[in-house]
Amino acid sequence: MDILDQLGSVREGKLSRRRFTKGLLAAGVAVTTTPLASKRAMAAPEDQATYFTWGGYDIPELFQPYEAKNGEMPNFAVFGASEEALTKMRGGFVVDVSHPCNAGMNRWIQSGLFQPIDTSRLSNWSDVIPSLVDLPGNETAGDGKVWLSPFDWGQTSITYRTDLFELEGEESWDMLWDARYGGRLGSLASGGDAWWCGAIKAGVDFDNLDTDEAFEKISAVMREQRPLIRTYTDDTTTLEQALASGEMVAAMTWNSSATLLKAEEVPVEFAKPKEGALTWVCGLMIHKDAPNLDRAYDVIDSLLSTETGQFMINDYGYGHSNIKSFDAFDEATLTGLGLSKNPADVLEAGHFQRPMTQEWETRMNETFETIKAGF
Amino acid sequence: MAETSLSQSQAQAGQAPERSLRDRIAGKLYRSEALRGYLLMSPTMIILTIGIIIPFFILVMISMWTRDGFGFDTTLTLANYFEAAEKPIYGALMQRSFWISGLATFFTVLLCYPMAYYVAFHVHKNKMMWIILMTLPFWTSYLLRVFAWKVILGFEGVINSGFMSLGWIEAPMEFLLYSQTAVVITLAHAWAAFAILPLYVSLEKIDKSLLEAATDLGDGPVARFFRITLPLSMPGVIAASFLIFIPTTGDYITPALVGGPDAMMIGNLVQLQFGPMNNWPMGGALSIALMLWICAIALVFLFLTRKAQEKLT
Repeated sequence: MDILDQLGSVREGKLSRRRFTKGLLAAGVAVTTTPLASKRAMAAPEDQATYFTWGGYDIPELFQPYEAKNGEMPNFAVFGASEEALTKMRGGFVVDVSHPCNAGMNRWIQSGLFQPIDTSRLSNWSDVIPSLVDLPGNETAGDGKVWLSPFDWGQTSITYRTDLFELEGEESWDMLWDARYGGRLGSLASGGDAWWCGAIKAGVDFDNLDTDEAFEKISAVMREQRPLIRTYTDDTTTLEQALASGEMVAAMTWNSSATLLKAEEVPVEFAKPKEGALTWVCGLMIHKDAPNLDRAYDVIDSLLSTETGQFMINDYGYGHSNIKSFDAFDEATLTGLGLSKNPADVLEAGHFQRPMTQEWETRMNETFETIKAGF
Repeated sequence: MAETSLSQSQAQAGQAPERSLRDRIAGKLYRSEALRGYLLMSPTMIILTIGIIIPFFILVMISMWTRDGFGFDTTLTLANYFEAAEKPIYGALMQRSFWISGLATFFTVLLCYPMAYYVAFHVHKNKMMWIILMTLPFWTSYLLRVFAWKVILGFEGVINSGFMSLGWIEAPMEFLLYSQTAVVITLAHAWAAFAILPLYVSLEKIDKSLLEAATDLGDGPVARFFRITLPLSMPGVIAASFLIFIPTTGDYITPALVGGPDAMMIGNLVQLQFGPMNNWPMGGALSIALMLWICAIALVFLFLTRKAQEKLT
């Protein structure tokens, strides 16, 4: 079994996590209950759709409509970085639905592993925010179909402890390069986030990412940051736990970490860096050999539903693609979460990720992994 | 199975001069010990061929390809091996892997020896139960054991919060988790069962009368241990060392979870080559290089222990 599947299941015991580390007894209980939790998530029968997604999206709350219709949860497989997911599927891993983001979408389409989505089969499609569908390349499916159905959107920024991190001036990406807190900073391990944030910190415009100069500049800031980082991880739970305990005072995270920690009353803030956060849209694609095509559409429809959307906004702090999901929240709540009914307001205020070539992606990953290893 | 058909064929062979094909095969089996041996081994051999030998050759093959965009250029070349030899990152990670797993092996054997010794010499009843009790922690998943160590060594973990409540330390010790120490500790615990069992078996086999003889001839407990017990249990020590050193060198999940940036091992890099770096040929070449290095180190270790044993005995 993939390690990340297990990581995902540990995450399911979310609320007990702080207690988890408090003592051996609590640890013992949590550890012994973990396999049961994962079993429930993994044991859906073969005829249910398989959803290959980021860790943290493999939870029942997102699949209430699906469960109501099909009686059970879909099967889950979890990844920590979308490049890893694509490699795994190129290696022959067949799923029904997967969950790439806008920066990877075109490469996913080019891999020839996916089929266009017939939007007329989705009951919630009419409520999907059009600007999110309108990603460059998405229209090439033709016939009014799309390759990717947008699902969630948000930011990659810094979650920091307001009581432990002494802010100097404005919130900024410099916080993750602050030598005062060496060894108490954390970062996402995937270049798909970290490298782009490095580009913002280095002042490289996303138009010029694919130049030698950009690689040099970004490598330099990543090397500068590495000794300050306690650990690089794809597992957001690790970062959340470390922030909760004070082991880390600031870490690169997505919206959900800050929202979850706030719900546990940890004094954290999701920074609005003055240079701008990294913004992205993620969505759903159907595998060309999807064994349960009808249920693949059910998975997508379930994720696009307002029930799911309200959970995503309220509990995870992510934007949702269904405009009606926002109706349950007032402006003040949305602003507090850093969201808006008009995604463009948020996405364009930050640095919106964009599609890159496969060569760039490979070179970037190679460079970043080498730097993380200390070279 | 071979034996029942053998007795039949014997009985038939006496009566009928015209023997059927089946009888002739049975007869051959009866006469040839080697053939019987191969027959007994064949299920394992088939699995070994399908599961290890063929994949190994595929790996060798892939390692001689080169990456070409997202695909592979299948002309055979040794370019990856040259790159592995030249770029400092590979050598350094390889060295670090050997260092970490060498330390882990050393401490595992050191800690498990007394346990095995105790059961072999001082437990007289219910030995099996003792062995089972000692291997009990290993009935849980490896991953859970690694996570357990994360809980123990963590910032708010059992050790840190325990020491802090006792007032021994002011602030949590950060070197416990996300360091090479953490990897060594976790590996040493996680692989203990693989050391205890071979050590126990070799200690158990030692003839107790040799120890009595040594005592009669004037050896104290310490001298007796170094002159009799240790040399005679050397096969167990060697087996335990190999059983731990070889798999831990290529381990990637332990450093990934408790290691932090400075404890990355070669296994992590191999995994990355097959994942985000998407360079399967390089990953293959690194795996093969690792295998060759382990072979070389194992041979040297074997040679040294042989020498040491000769000196001792």
